[in-house]
Amino acid sequence: METKTKSRVLQEFQEVTKTIMNPALKKEKDKGTKVIGYFCSYGPAEIITAAGMIPFRIRAVGSTGTDLSDAYLSSINCSFCRNALNMGLAGDYDFLDGLIVLNNCDHVRRIYDNWRRKIKTPLVQMMSLPKKITDPSIQWYYDEINILKKAIEDKFNVKITDDKVREAIKLHNETRRLQRKLYDLRKKDNPPITGADTLAVTVAATALPLKQYNPMLKELIDDLSKSEGVGKAKARLLVIGGVLDDPEFIKVIESTGGLVVTDVLCFGTKDFRAEINEKMKDPIAALAKYYIADRPSCPRMFGDQPRRAQLVKDLVKEFKVDGVIGERIVFCDIWAGEIYMLDDDLKEAGIPLLKLDREYIMAGAGQVRTRIQAFIESMGR
Amino acid sequence: MSKVEKARLDNQLERLKGDKALLQAFVDMLAIDNSEEADLNRFVLQTVMNKYDEIMNCAENDIPFIAAYFANCPEIFTAMDVPWWIFLQTPFLGVSSPFLAADTDETAKMGWATDFCTVLRLAMFYVEKDLTPKPAGLIALLHPCDGTVVVHQAISKSKQWHDVPVFGADSPYWDDERSFKYYAEETDRMVEFVTKCTGKTLDINKLREVCKISNQTYALWAEYNELRKAVPCPHDWTMGPPQCFALACYYYPGKIEAVNWFKMLVGNAEKRVKAGTGMAAGEQIRALWFDILPIMWQFDLSPWLEQEWGVNIVMNMFGYTPYEPIDTTSKETMFHDLAKRSLCQVPMIRQARGVADNFLGDIERIVKDYKIDCVIWPGHMGHKDGNASIGMMREKCRDLGVPFLYIGLDLFDKRYTSIDDLKNKLSTFFEASGFKHK
Repeated sequence: METKTKSRVLQEFQEVTKTIMNPALKKEKDKGTKVIGYFCSYGPAEIITAAGMIPFRIRAVGSTGTDLSDAYLSSINCSFCRNALNMGLAGDYDFLDGLIVLNNCDHVRRIYDNWRRKIKTPLVQMMSLPKKITDPSIQWYYDEINILKKAIEDKFNVKITDDKVREAIKLHNETRRLQRKLYDLRKKDNPPITGADTLAVTVAATALPLKQYNPMLKELIDDLSKSEGVGKAKARLLVIGGVLDDPEFIKVIESTGGLVVTDVLCFGTKDFRAEINEKMKDPIAALAKYYIADRPSCPRMFGDQPRRAQLVKDLVKEFKVDGVIGERIVFCDIWAGEIYMLDDDLKEAGIPLLKLDREYIMAGAGQVRTRIQAFIESMGR
Repeated sequence: MSKVEKARLDNQLERLKGDKALLQAFVDMLAIDNSEEADLNRFVLQTVMNKYDEIMNCAENDIPFIAAYFANCPEIFTAMDVPWWIFLQTPFLGVSSPFLAADTDETAKMGWATDFCTVLRLAMFYVEKDLTPKPAGLIALLHPCDGTVVVHQAISKSKQWHDVPVFGADSPYWDDERSFKYYAEETDRMVEFVTKCTGKTLDINKLREVCKISNQTYALWAEYNELRKAVPCPHDWTMGPPQCFALACYYYPGKIEAVNWFKMLVGNAEKRVKAGTGMAAGEQIRALWFDILPIMWQFDLSPWLEQEWGVNIVMNMFGYTPYEPIDTTSKETMFHDLAKRSLCQVPMIRQARGVADNFLGDIERIVKDYKIDCVIWPGHMGHKDGNASIGMMREKCRDLGVPFLYIGLDLFDKRYTSIDDLKNKLSTFFEASGFKHK
């Protein structure tokens, strides 16, 4: 199965996912635009945009090993972090003017400590992300966003006004609306785009200036709306799990005849399912509320598991999903627990679940393929 | 109580009774030793057994108790007169080793990833298999690691405990006034929760008295830690940080029993320092074991370390916690200081929750103050943050001029790294560092 449209835009998005530095980003860098990296989708990218800079979500695509980071992280740390830190140590992230890290997990929070000691990024800022969804925790994150805002202002001598934040929120919300529109196309019985290509589209949003990305995505959606479908799938699948930014992984899944029609990923649905309230008087308060309370939560958020499980069940209905693939990067405690709990919820709802441990860098494609094939067969497809 | 209820209760208390029987055997063994050190240890073991009795009594007589942690401001529970316990204490005690390997294997059958902290998997197992008495409320620990957040969420959704009310105090990442204030407010909400679960209320005057006693306890603990700086260290592996932690932070927080025990401990240590008495085997290497002590290996490893290499673990993560006294002026000052203690002073939380500067600073202080010859980071498989800190630890030790060893262990499962492998690694390290075999 493949996406039938021969869209130039789709090819550009696919190219973007294959490297860290892409031509559009390089052009901006050459013009003197600053680029701020962030490690987690809870990082308020809108603040970076409002500062006139480009937010760039950290990935480790193209990593060729962990020789450098092995001196700092052990073999029982997540392979995403080991590869990302390795790239940082190798100088692949020297183009960053700043980096935002959150205490989103035990592996990533130590990246902050290692990065600021070893890599000369001009601004390395840590944010304390609450673990509960309550009014006081929203207020806490409101303060954290303001601390970040001030750090960027002070470091780069810029003023991030409320108007600029509002403008940035509008821009990011537009991305979210467009991505939802793209996903709506996947609800069709014969969707016009594969899961692998969709992931390329959403990943590209985290690596391109959104002012360029949004019109490109509009164009792609227009193309896809007129395009024929990818073909008959053996099974419609939903992928849920930890950091997944490699379309090749989805390609392997889809090489079995299954089609990934939706996901609960932080490079996907979690990033656009909800929107930031544009009408709130204080735009920082709107950001805090969105990130803590409104967007689908990460399993690190305590007490919100029922809502997360409900989201999976809702998506299964909306996208007519036959089975769920729960992927986890080995050594990730957060997703170990989440998938364990989800197993019960999906069993109760009669939805098949395949638990799949993996490494960040695609390896053992044959093994993954075999397991997916067996999963699809077990669903009688 | 119906037959079914009785059978269920028996199942819930089975592990506790097993632990207690083993503890009793240790107490009996110590009874033939008339030394002060044996008295001190006997008291600790008896205290642990008393806790078992307290919880079993609650379970058998329908008295509400809560499941909580030493990092949940336990002085408050003392002041409220609420029975509480750490329901995953069984694997921590190490006395349950006859069950532990089989229990650990069972956790894998439950479908839980085996790279997840063994002790937390076991906690889940005890709940799911109904092998621990059901509390009236569960206070989840949301720090220091991902595992604790996740496992409490899973427990509160489990078949056995899904109807147990749960509360988790949200812990900020920083160690500043804003964080203490936030966590103090969370602690206030925790008190409301405990009241709802148990019917017990908090009397601030009672809390003040409890905090005063707690301050005495911690002052004595600090005094004892000063004495451990002596060369040779007054105590060997059989006495020190684990006992101090257990009594001050868990079994007797803010209770006079802890003060009395610490007085005895300090007295004993003073005598030994004056006499220049250290461990019997002769102290050659003063080590910092920067994690939970090797509980599962205690009887295999600790005597070997002493006899083969003259190693004394002079300090560890559970012993070095420079506590500040609680200001008892008002409710606000007490909650502020209790929050501060729970957030960034109690063991494991202090080292693992916040930024790396916290534990790196501790390593530096301990190496200098305790005249440490080498630092050992066992690298427990559940401590992912610590495992992501090995480079920083190594560099810190290099700067301090002390050798550093990273091992890679499961502190709760001896099969992860065999005892022979462990001894080999340690021997190679000591030899390479120029230490002499005894």
